[in-house]
Amino acid sequence: MAEFNPVLVKELRGRMRGPSAFMLLTGYLLLLGLVTLLLYTALADSAGSELNAGQRIGKQLFIVIATVALIEVCVITPALTAGSIVGEKERQTYDLLIASLLSPWQIVWGKLAAALAFALLMIVSVVPLMSLAFLFGGVSLAEVLIALVGLLMTALLYATVGLFWSAIMHSTLGATSFALGSIIVMLLGIPFLAAIFTLIFAQGTTPEWTRSALFIYLSGAFVSIHPFIALGLTETLLNAGDSPFFSVFDPQGANITIPSPWLAYVVLAALFSIVLLWFSVRMLRPEPPIAKQARAT
Amino acid sequence: MTLIVEMRDLTHRYGATLALDHLNVQIPEGAIFGFIGPNGAGKTTTMRILTTLLVPTGGDARVGGFSVLTAPRDVRRLVGFMPDFFGVYDNMKVWEYLDFFGHAYSIPAPRRAGLISDLLELVDLDHKRDDFVMDLSRGMKQRLSLARTMIHDPRLLILDEPASNLDPRARIELRELLKELRALGKTIMISSHILTELAEMCTHIAIIERGRLLAAGDVQTILRSLQPHRTLELRVLTAAERVEPLLRAQPDVLDVRFAVADALAAVPVPSDDQEAAASDEFAAPMPGLAGAAATLSADDEAPAQPTTFLVDYAGDERGMGALLTLLVANGVGISRFAEQSSGLEDIFMQVTKGIVQ
Repeated sequence: MAEFNPVLVKELRGRMRGPSAFMLLTGYLLLLGLVTLLLYTALADSAGSELNAGQRIGKQLFIVIATVALIEVCVITPALTAGSIVGEKERQTYDLLIASLLSPWQIVWGKLAAALAFALLMIVSVVPLMSLAFLFGGVSLAEVLIALVGLLMTALLYATVGLFWSAIMHSTLGATSFALGSIIVMLLGIPFLAAIFTLIFAQGTTPEWTRSALFIYLSGAFVSIHPFIALGLTETLLNAGDSPFFSVFDPQGANITIPSPWLAYVVLAALFSIVLLWFSVRMLRPEPPIAKQARAT
Repeated sequence: MTLIVEMRDLTHRYGATLALDHLNVQIPEGAIFGFIGPNGAGKTTTMRILTTLLVPTGGDARVGGFSVLTAPRDVRRLVGFMPDFFGVYDNMKVWEYLDFFGHAYSIPAPRRAGLISDLLELVDLDHKRDDFVMDLSRGMKQRLSLARTMIHDPRLLILDEPASNLDPRARIELRELLKELRALGKTIMISSHILTELAEMCTHIAIIERGRLLAAGDVQTILRSLQPHRTLELRVLTAAERVEPLLRAQPDVLDVRFAVADALAAVPVPSDDQEAAASDEFAAPMPGLAGAAATLSADDEAPAQPTTFLVDYAGDERGMGALLTLLVANGVGISRFAEQSSGLEDIFMQVTKGIVQ
């Protein structure tokens, strides 16, 4: 029987041994549970005897749980991988790995898979909480599945961001700082640029090219790399009765079919992840002939 | 002689710094090869190239016939590397540590279990099998590291400063372990600053400084090449005054010296009235051995104090025998007549003299 990747086995052994993994998972679920409880209390009080109160509570519970879970995945997954490769350098085990028969891809994949396995555990543990929304109604299975796929792709993308910085930096602190920093820049930068763009063109006559299909696709892709915007827009479009897979955009009578933002997000996140993984693997190759700085001999 | 390592014009630059300068070194299979040089000489760079961790800027190195440039994976199969530090994984047990590296070298799981037990027994850590690696002592970690190096049964072990920071007992244990490994047919390339330790176990050495090879080969050949004459040590019990004239008359005797430390040991404790005279004799520059020997033999009636002479001799063993016969025939009482062997430290100091300073 084929064996698992040795790095994956080692990482899982290390991660799941001791109390830290269970404490992290417990804290994560406690926070989600607490938010759910507080939200339910607030919604139940304000709902009164409204006919559709159950559906409204269910929908809002689902959105809040998914959002909090997404925030936690955005923060935790890069932190899981940011120390993975640079940690080997700090523990002075990096050379031993590189000098073994493990390929750089095996090392990177083992590290990523171990982080994703833990992220998957976190995401799966959210499912019972998310399913509470079904008790109230108002949430479709498609919405839940799209949310789970969105969480998974976010975990993949941000884990590779952490891995990339881990392969480049020389300390875990530096790698974690840069990983979280770049994610914050991305999460805040995209809405900021979108808002600036909107403000500029909202003041005068909108140029013709902003209604072209190319611009619509490009701007759609730009905002769809943001998980909160992509998944939030998807939810809005689903509520408006659109298909879970595509929408028809009609700026000036010309019907333009665009993929649902969550689909665009999945594709873009996968592409970015592949590029970041490729760079990470490149960084793990033996030192090239022209080293940038002198090493103590 | 089968060569396991061949370096051909191996060169490496770190920016403007030339770390290795056209290094040509060969290591025969089965040797314990001491790689000696001061800090910054290029030892670690060479070892990193041989373990495929570093790509050289020029030249090539072949391990077991495989080039580090074109067949790094084949080289890795043949090489076990122990760096000068010990990497510790948190929360990992001793057997898991070896299991992980065994897995990393593609050893199938059923074979790994037996292999781990054998290796732990070899390095005397079988009783620590289920302990956490980070709880081991430094010496134990070093032995475990050696077991890890052996996990894929490599033909060549490259050990970078393996004895650094070890206490004397751990050093001795490590040395014995390396001898065992050599008996198993392994070739060992070892760098160390502790030259006396290397001298005891190395069959071959290479001395490098600032990336350049100063000397390489088997220890005895290097010794002979650096020191063309022999140094004989004579411990004389009686008739010491006759030794120097007899020896100097021989054509192959280059020089006769007097072992000063021995002379000091031989000096009787002076009484108050003798102190000034005695101190004069030893404080003044020695005029010659005849004078010194005469001084010591002046008190012939006293119990004989042994005197040691060092003789630089250019002859062969047959000549040495004739020399001994001559001395004995002339009534010189000799308790020791032996060729003095130079240590690795002597070679190192001689070869690197002037460049280090």
